[in-house]
Order: sequence, then C-alpha cells, then structure tokens
Amino acid sequence: MIDLVQNTLDGVMIGSSYGLLALGFTLIFGVMRRLDLAYGPSIMIGGYFGTVLYLYYGAGPLAVASAVVLGAVIAGIYVERLCFAPMKAGAAIASMVSSFAIWMQLEQAAILVLPRHTYPFPPLATVAPLEFGPFLVRVDHLIMLVCALALAAAVHLALYHTRFGLALRAIIGSPVAAHLVGINVRTAVLLTFAGASAVGGAAGFLVLAVDQQVTPMFGMWATLKGLIAMMIGGLGSVPGAVVGGLLLGIVEVNSQWYFGPQIRDLVAYVVLFAFLVVRPRGLLGRAPEPAMPPKA
Amino acid sequence: MLDISDLVTAYGKIDALKGVSLQVETGKITCLLGPNGAGKTTLMMTIAGLLHPRRGSIRLAGTELVGLSPARIVAHGIALVPENRLVFPQMSVRENLLAGAYQRNDKVSIDADLKRMYALFPRLNERTEQLAGTLSGGEQQMLAVARALMSRPRVLLMDEPSLGLAPLVVTEIFNIVRDLNRDGTTIFLVEQNAHMALQVAHRFLLMEQGRITFRGMPGQLAEDEVVQRAYLGTRRAAG
Amino acid sequence: MDDYLIGVLSNIGVISFVALSAYLLLLTGEISFGQQAFFAIGAYAAGIATALWGWSLAAALVWGAAVSGGAALLVGVPTLRLHGLYFAIATLAFAEMVRILFELFRYQISIDGELIGPNGTDGFRNIRYIFDHNIDAFQFLLLIYSLLAAAMLGLLLLERSRLGVIFRMIGQDETLAELQGIPVARRKVLAAGIAGTLAGIGGGLYAHLTTYVEPRIFDIMLGVHSLAYGLIGGLGTAFGPLLGVLIDIGLLESIRALAGYRMIIFGGLVALLLIVRPRGLLDEMVVHKIGRGWRRVSLWARRSSLKPRGNSA
Repeated sequence: MIDLVQNTLDGVMIGSSYGLLALGFTLIFGVMRRLDLAYGPSIMIGGYFGTVLYLYYGAGPLAVASAVVLGAVIAGIYVERLCFAPMKAGAAIASMVSSFAIWMQLEQAAILVLPRHTYPFPPLATVAPLEFGPFLVRVDHLIMLVCALALAAAVHLALYHTRFGLALRAIIGSPVAAHLVGINVRTAVLLTFAGASAVGGAAGFLVLAVDQQVTPMFGMWATLKGLIAMMIGGLGSVPGAVVGGLLLGIVEVNSQWYFGPQIRDLVAYVVLFAFLVVRPRGLLGRAPEPAMPPKA
Repeated sequence: MLDISDLVTAYGKIDALKGVSLQVETGKITCLLGPNGAGKTTLMMTIAGLLHPRRGSIRLAGTELVGLSPARIVAHGIALVPENRLVFPQMSVRENLLAGAYQRNDKVSIDADLKRMYALFPRLNERTEQLAGTLSGGEQQMLAVARALMSRPRVLLMDEPSLGLAPLVVTEIFNIVRDLNRDGTTIFLVEQNAHMALQVAHRFLLMEQGRITFRGMPGQLAEDEVVQRAYLGTRRAAG
Repeated sequence: MDDYLIGVLSNIGVISFVALSAYLLLLTGEISFGQQAFFAIGAYAAGIATALWGWSLAAALVWGAAVSGGAALLVGVPTLRLHGLYFAIATLAFAEMVRILFELFRYQISIDGELIGPNGTDGFRNIRYIFDHNIDAFQFLLLIYSLLAAAMLGLLLLERSRLGVIFRMIGQDETLAELQGIPVARRKVLAAGIAGTLAGIGGGLYAHLTTYVEPRIFDIMLGVHSLAYGLIGGLGTAFGPLLGVLIDIGLLESIRALAGYRMIIFGGLVALLLIVRPRGLLDEMVVHKIGRGWRRVSLWARRSSLKPRGNSA
C-alpha cells in the first residue's frame, strides 16, 4: 500500500512534465489539426543549447532553462515554416511526413555537433529528499511539479484571459470563421507554434534537469510521451493534456515498480490503445467527428 | 458601395465564377439568388478574401480588395455571415461576439455594442454564457449575424441565412435583416429561399453557372419565374 | 554482380514490401505508422518455421504471411471505427506493443546441442536456412524480386480492378462510398489484411536475408519510413513506394561520402519536395498524364500501322 502511494506521488510529479509536453502538442494540434512529429526533436535541440551553455560556460539552472526554451522555440519556428506553413489545406499527411523528415534532420544535426551519447545537465536541487512520514519526496521532483503546474496555469490564463488566447481558441473552433472575424490566422499559428515550443522547452528542461542528462534519443521520447498523454487526456483539450500526463505518470511509475521497465512501456501503450478503441475522445476531449474531412 | 467587376474564380481547372459583375448599393438590401452550384458561395468567399480570383476587381467605396488577406478585408469593413453559421462551438455566446470585435480595441464601445446585440437578439441575451455549439440552428444563425455586426461593417454579407431553419425562425431572421437595413446597414444577401428574399430585397440578381443572368427589382420578374430559375436554373431549351 | 550491390538491392526489395503495405492502407485513406509490426510478425514466424521446426522456405514464407495477415485482420476490426489521426496513433501503439512483446518473447529449442530461437531483447539468431541449403546471395535476390514482382503485379491489377477502385473511393469519401452500397467496413478490414500479409512476406524474406532479427529493428522509425516512401515516391501508383525506397536506400545509403549528413540532406529534400508535391513524385496527376500520353502514343502507332489500308480514321 505504501509503495502504491509512493509510486503515485512520484507518478504525479513525473506526470506533470508529461502533461506540459502534451500541452504543447495539444496547442499545435488544435490550431493545425495536424501532428507535428518534430515536436520532441525541437525540444531536444533546445536541450542541446542548454547543455552547451552548461558544459562550456558553467551556467546555472535558470540560464540553462532559458537556453533550452530559446532553442526549442527556434527549432519550432523552423519546423512551422518548413513543414506546415507552406502546405495547402488538404495536405495533412504531407505535413506529418515532412515533420518526420525534419525530426530525422534535427536528430542527425544534433549528433553531428555533439557526437557523444550523453551530455550533462545541471540538477534542479542537490538537497536530500524530504520525508513525509513513510513517504519520500525528491526535492527536484517537487520543483518540477510546482513549475509544471505554474506553467499550465499560465497557459490557461493566456488562453482564457487574453486577446491572443481568444484568437487561438477561435482558430481551434473554426479556422474559416476565425478568418472571417478578422484574425490574422497565419501569424497566430506561427505564434502558437512558438508558444507551444516554449512550453515544451520548459517541460524538456525540467525532465532533463531531473535526469541530469540529455541524449539525442530524447526527441523521440518527448514526442511519444506528449502524444500518449495528449490522446489519453483527450485530443485538443487543454485540461485533458495535463490530466492525461498525470495519469500516464502514475501508471508508468507503478508499472515499473511492480513489473519492470519493459512492462512499464507496454502498459502505457496498452492503455493508449484501449482508450482509442473504447473511448477515442480520451478523458476530457470532444467526441471525434464521424465524417472527417478528406483524409489523404 | 461594393463594385465587383469581371470576377473570375477557379477551382482547379474549373471556373466557378465566369466573369461576374455587379454593384451593391449603399444602404440597400441586394439579394443574389440562384440554384445550387451556381457559384454564390464562391462569390461570397472571394469577396471575403478566402478565395483568390484569377481575374477581376472588387472595390469597396473605391478601395481594391482583391489580393488582400481576409483580415485586411474585415478591417476595410466587410463582414461575412458564412453558410452553415460557423460559430465557435466551444466558446460562449459572449465570447463569440467578442471575437467578432477582434480587430477593435475601444473597450467601451465594444461593451456598448455587446449590449446592443443582446437587445437586438433577445434569445442570445438569455444565453450569454452558453456554449455556442449547444445552441439551436436559429440561435446559431442569430449569433453568427450578431458576431458579424460586432465589427461594425460597412457591408454585411450573408450566405444563405435561412439554410436548415424552421419557417418561423426564417421569418424572424428576415425581420432582423430588414431592421438592420433600416438602421443603415448595407446588406448583400445570398439566398435559395427566393420567396422570403424577394420580400426584403431592394434589388436582386440571379446567378446561374457562374454568371449573372438577371438584375433588377423584385417586381420585374414574375415571382414564379424567379423561384424556378433560382432553384432549377434556366432550362436551356426555354433559353 | 558484386556482393555489396546484391546486398543493397536485397535490402531495397525487402523494405519495399513494408512500403507497399503502408501504401495500400493509404489508398483506403488510412494512415498507418504500424506496418512494421506485421513485418516483425512475418519475420519471427517464418524464422521459427525454418530454424526451429525444420520447414521449407516456401512453407515458412507462406506461414509468415498467413500469421501476419491474420494478425492484421484481428487488429483491423477493433480499429475500424477510428479515422485519421486516431487510427494512425492506434497503429503506432499497436506496433510498439508488438515490439515490446517480442522483447519479452522467448521460445528456444535445443537443436544439435545449440539453443535456437527468439530470445527476448537478444533477438533471434541463426536463421541459417539459406546457408544450410546452399542458396547464394544472388539466388536469394532473385527470390526476393520474383516475389516482389508478383506482389507488384497483384497490386497493379488490383488498382485497375473494381476492388481497387472501391479502395480509392473509400479513401476519398467513406460516407459517399457507403451510400453507393459499398460495405466499407468489410473492405477496409480486407485492405488491412492484404497490407499485413504483404508486410509479413517482406518480414519472412528479411529474416532469412539477414539471418538475425531483433525487436529493436521493428521500431517506429521503420514504420514512419514505410509511410514516407509512398509519400515521396508518389501515391498515384504502386511504383511510387518502390521509387521512394529506391531513392532512400538506393541513392543515399550508397553514397558513402554523404554518410554523416545523409539525414540532414534527405530530410531537407523531403520537406521541400512535399511542399511542391504533397502526394509525391508519381502522384495521381502525373500517373494520369503518363497514362494519357501512353494511350496517345499507342493510338498513333495503331493508326500509322493501319494507314496503308485506306480509310480508317
């Protein structure tokens, strides 16, 4: 029982960063209706910016975090300009495959510049874990949780209490009508990409700092975690992204504790598959439209 | 007010508009009728900037609109109430209206306009915080009209406002159209419901297969013939 | 033919099966990131058949194809209601599940004192059939391409057949197809089954080509690549995915000088290509024009040969 609670605690904290990753993904999907497979890799590029700053200039966590966010935003804008902006309305698959091609490009570019398998990241905290009765809480996990929740709240505020947020939600609701009320959709989409990349960058920094390393495989990992959390929570739902992330974290930590890392990954996919087959809308999403627009 | 000349818009290799010329007079209700596929929605989308014409010009009080982005066209004073309403389903009625005023930043008069809309459309007033996606068809139509009005347009475009609505609601909508015009709004209306449209229009035009085939006043063409041509298009044998 | 070339061509041939598999599903309008799962199932099944059960290669390949085709049918049913993105992610989840299951899968038999068989993450070694039976690399290459040619023939015939038209109709607009009386659900499952079988054949060949498979190979990269080949080569014809494989593995892999920069160049080129040709090089328009040009040429040829006979035009 104690294990279960401990794992759930850990899971919630790790899941908070999954939630952030999912949040960025959801924002992009919401305005584009397309999957950006280069999302994780853009964050990875940010991670490499950060590690360079840390390795060669000895920068502290805050500076490194800024570098990660900046790198992610630059990469994100690059992806948007190349893979999404120039595509015509019906070319959804082309955009996705294009983002995949850029994923590979970014991964190889990172390896070329920094060829080692792993690079260090500054820790979030170096103090001993806190004790709450029989439960242990790592301080860096706690920081991650607090930052993630704060960021999620900030995104929520931006979405629901700013003019830009209104524009975003309008585009998500109906791209055509958004044009018709005078919203500059192209610019808004670009800004959303930048914002989503920034959120992803922050999430990436938190994860990398807890892990204390960055590897070129981080890109795919981040994309997958964000994707799974987003689908479980509900495609296109902002609170869903956070909830999905938390749930994924809880499920993963518990699975790993009782069954090991392979089962952990297996369970994540089984849960995802089960959701898709039984309740594709996820926990908080809207029901998928039955007759989708032309698919290919 | 709106001067359209020799407009040609294509879908791939097919010309949906084959050289359309028409004028929308200031302060009047101009109505465009025609069968399905005639190109009415294409015309509306082209004016609003969602489609780019191959050739031709659209002038609003002398300013050329062709080539401008949809946002710029809204800035010049065009607002389109699209076919199928297209409200923002996950946003409340109030937020939909605020979205309509997106390009404005005069908070005080935006709030005043909000109240004006609620007065004009009492049913919306009862549901200001309700999600637009849960409104009935008629309520969504009113919301779409009110949203378009929030930008204080010089010309209001309406694409098939009666589509899919019950006859009582249609009458209500057209009463509102008449009221808006009486307050001074220039309206360009596309409709299939020829009967209702002819009751409010000052001028009307007939479009068939991408061309304007008749322009005049409501009395000029016998209502029967108009209805027939609007729904079925001219039979080629009859000429 | 030197060994290196044989190796590259064999690779191209085998991967083409997975590319065709993803392409077939794309025709019915569904994006699949998961065809590598059936590639894996086919590989393991065929490998087990020859290495552990002593079957002939032919029987093993059929067995591999059947198991993967069956698996595809099984998965095709619960995912029927899913469309677009939901379906795509479901295929991704399924493929990863399969991959992880193979990481946990152990089935070893002692043969001549040696333990043979799939051993979890360590993979499945010693699929030595073609060596034990003295089939050289070139002969195997011929086998690969004869099967590929047969598959291509089948697909090209399918595209011209009523079923092929039905698949494309479903891909364009499912509701419309349903209204035309097409049993859309059944056809989609059929397409999934055929696609799975195709990938399974490729898998069986792959296992015997490399004599060693491990779960790591059948990852998401392979899946998205398979999809990408069709997008690059063109979605207008079954030759499209083949062209895509050729361009990637054939052209770029072979140019050693580019080794470190391959993905950077390739990735950029693909992105640029997709801007101007969102449906690939041999997209429907191009194929249509080629078809028209061909018909004109053959009509002209026929007319010219008839001329001496007098009035014929």
